[in-house]
Amino acid sequence: MSGTEARGGPAAGQRPIPGHPRPYEFPTTHRTQLANGLRLIVTAMPGRGLVTASLVARCGAAEEPDELAGATVLAARGMTEGTVVRDAIALVEAAERLGASLHSEAGWDATSAGVDVPASRLEPALELLSEIVRQPAYPDAEVDRLRDERLTDLLQARADPRRRADQEFVDTIYDPTSPYHRPAGGTQETVIGITAGDLRTIQARDFVPERTALVVAGEVEADAVVGAARRLFDDWAGPGGIVESSLSDASRVTARRVRVIDRPGAAQSEVRIGHPGLPRRHPDFHAVSVMSAILGGLFNSRLNMNLREDKGYTYGAGAGFDLRRHRGPFSARAAVDTDVTVPSIQEILAELDRIRATPVTDAELRAARDYLVGVFPLRFETPGPVVGALAGLFVHELPDDELARYRDAIESVTVDDVQRVAREHIHPERVAIVVVGDHEKFAAQLEAARLGSIEIVRDEPLTGG
Amino acid sequence: MPVPVVEFSDERLANGLRLIVVEDHLAPVVAVNIWYDVGSKHEVPGKTGFAHLFEHVMFQGSAHVGKAEHMALVQAAGGTINGTTWLDRTNYFETMPSHQLELALWLEADRMGTLLDALNQENLDNQRDVVKNEKRWSYDNRPYGSWNEKLLAHMYPADHPYHHPTIGSMDDLDAASLDDVRAFFRTYYVPNNAVLSVVGDCDPRQVRAWVERYFGPIAPNPAIPPLPDLSLPPTIGEERRELVTDRVPLPRVYVGFRAPVFGDRRLDALDLASQMLSGGKGSRLHRRLVREERIAQDVAVFALPFVSGSSQFLGWATARPGVDISRVEAAMIEELERLGAEAPSEDELVRAKALTEADELGALARVEERADRLSMFATLLDDPGMVNSLLQRYLSVTADQIRDAAAEVFRADNRVVLTYVPGDPPAASSIGAGEGAA
Repeated sequence: MSGTEARGGPAAGQRPIPGHPRPYEFPTTHRTQLANGLRLIVTAMPGRGLVTASLVARCGAAEEPDELAGATVLAARGMTEGTVVRDAIALVEAAERLGASLHSEAGWDATSAGVDVPASRLEPALELLSEIVRQPAYPDAEVDRLRDERLTDLLQARADPRRRADQEFVDTIYDPTSPYHRPAGGTQETVIGITAGDLRTIQARDFVPERTALVVAGEVEADAVVGAARRLFDDWAGPGGIVESSLSDASRVTARRVRVIDRPGAAQSEVRIGHPGLPRRHPDFHAVSVMSAILGGLFNSRLNMNLREDKGYTYGAGAGFDLRRHRGPFSARAAVDTDVTVPSIQEILAELDRIRATPVTDAELRAARDYLVGVFPLRFETPGPVVGALAGLFVHELPDDELARYRDAIESVTVDDVQRVAREHIHPERVAIVVVGDHEKFAAQLEAARLGSIEIVRDEPLTGG
Repeated sequence: MPVPVVEFSDERLANGLRLIVVEDHLAPVVAVNIWYDVGSKHEVPGKTGFAHLFEHVMFQGSAHVGKAEHMALVQAAGGTINGTTWLDRTNYFETMPSHQLELALWLEADRMGTLLDALNQENLDNQRDVVKNEKRWSYDNRPYGSWNEKLLAHMYPADHPYHHPTIGSMDDLDAASLDDVRAFFRTYYVPNNAVLSVVGDCDPRQVRAWVERYFGPIAPNPAIPPLPDLSLPPTIGEERRELVTDRVPLPRVYVGFRAPVFGDRRLDALDLASQMLSGGKGSRLHRRLVREERIAQDVAVFALPFVSGSSQFLGWATARPGVDISRVEAAMIEELERLGAEAPSEDELVRAKALTEADELGALARVEERADRLSMFATLLDDPGMVNSLLQRYLSVTADQIRDAAAEVFRADNRVVLTYVPGDPPAASSIGAGEGAA
């Protein structure tokens, strides 16, 4: 090797071998339930003085009626916009005096209201949480503003190539009867008609005690949290009647197809390739986690090593499954230099074929398993992610020991498992290929590549007002 | 709830490497964090973007590590990893399961000692392409993506290195040769130009032994060239304005001001001012622009701390559809100036401090954040103890100090106003006062 210079540094043959791993267990979690059905899930984490608490309802945007698409997300946001006790400003000021940040949001499967607060002020912060969940006011004026902000956000989403590509992708892969074909926050057509009354109805339906959990982690004592929760929530009675979700997650992609959103002058092409994937609660969860780490999760994943480190087509390429209650999307994604749009698509498709056709190497398998197992304690260093993971178990109705057995389950994934789940859950012959970019610059190459039917959509930005 | 004090050791190896160690066994994780005292401000005209390109090269292998293997080894050990480049510095960091600490130290030492053994034209060309795609992704293909470059160009004179952004010029990157990269490495990537912080589940004596073993043999550079005098007048001296017609969905106004350097107590006051102005729903700007007058979709202001010449205080607001952007600008400026005219109320101050204290409590819980702050304070201020004193500094700021700092900074003759309006961009854009920034 040329260029060696006497400068020092580690000598050859010194590469360290790891020491003995310190035993790690997911922190002990205390679970109980009030008479009204509210679950209490509390994890004591000594030394973590900023506590996270979250009231999580197992009901999200997937369950809302089509004509009210977006109402769940707005209803969640609106919980911090004032209660029957005080208006939005008085509410935020009360929280700030505690050093507490209140937040509320909804996704496809859940709606939540949460707070991060120093441990000594947890109880008054839980009172605020109870207030926004049990007594939200939804003043007309605030609802009008939230609705207008969402409509404006939709304009911005259309202009941003990334968000535009994500939206066009799900719209392409899901059947219009599936809510997953639209953004969780709704579309212009539906959001415009949402009223304060709709939000009250949706919020009252989402937050009923028997479908809600209070999840708390940090420097707390479980008994004290349970005591506070009893005081605040024992008298919370909600309407009975569980909403059973039976939504469609059907694919509309029967053969490989290409959809180009043509943006003359675009500086790059945003590429999304995929189809509906699998639900979170699925026996293949752990094998799929390992497989997608190898395909497009790790920095040294096949997609990133090929498109970035070998060819320099992109700043980063990846792939993964968005795991929801029903089949969320599987997508491979990259933002690539316009000139290499078509070669990039071909390389991605080749990688989707390859992970199905040939077994991964032992080294690849080990690297992915060791990463997922090793990074597990890092993920749960602080209360926020612990609450997130425990809330996830509740939302997806997974067993209490799911996190405790995660690492063993990952360790037991084999080369054959990876190939089997790749064949079962990745279907290169019926992917949608969505590109937001300057079509003219790659049109001829795209035709010649014969990837499937091609649809060109001329970009028409929405205009304000 | 008091924020726990961070107990750390602070020493130097014979070759000048500064080593800071914190022992904390709460979780079985440990953070390794290196700051090199080199950033885009060390670049000279014609070689912009170099510090950042170099950061990419640092992942392309060294004498005993293959291309991209550094990332692979850390991830396969169950760690997380990254590097970032900024105007004043470049940092590299790994968070590891604690039994893998030695691997991270060895990897950092191997590239500090032997990077050039592995450097070749193919890897340099590959990463140049990656960086070009990073620029397209982060700036060019993003609505309003040119704002940072434009703001810097207006705020700092052409002969000051803060005038250009870290990503640099693609023409300059094209001109970069292997010899340039080698010279950059030999000059700046040396132990006496670095701070290494190790925080978490570790035995400090063992850490010292490993660091001595792997980093100890690396030769220092006794002749790191000093930066020229980069001091600047505290204000820009005039209002500078630019109107940008571009493919944006809505009009947006950016404002920027020169502000006191990192470590100056007036910047602490401005950090609390940012909280009062735009930190959440109860803040002044959010309340007025978004909630009450409903002229803006969003608004944000904050300080970006720099050490050479002046920091930046900046912000933006996006107009709601149909609202004249000049109205948004006027309301924003009025609120900034109002803070400079009358001191905030006691209640506002109490709320801002309570939130700041809670933020510190959360941030310092993470080993990665503690390690990064120790390296930062040691590199930029030669005072790692700031990791503990910063909160006390925030808590001691008075309402009058906030007013005074606001009055000094939020002045018309210290202001850049950049306004984006939707439309087709002209073929070649020009920028005020004849300073090309495209």
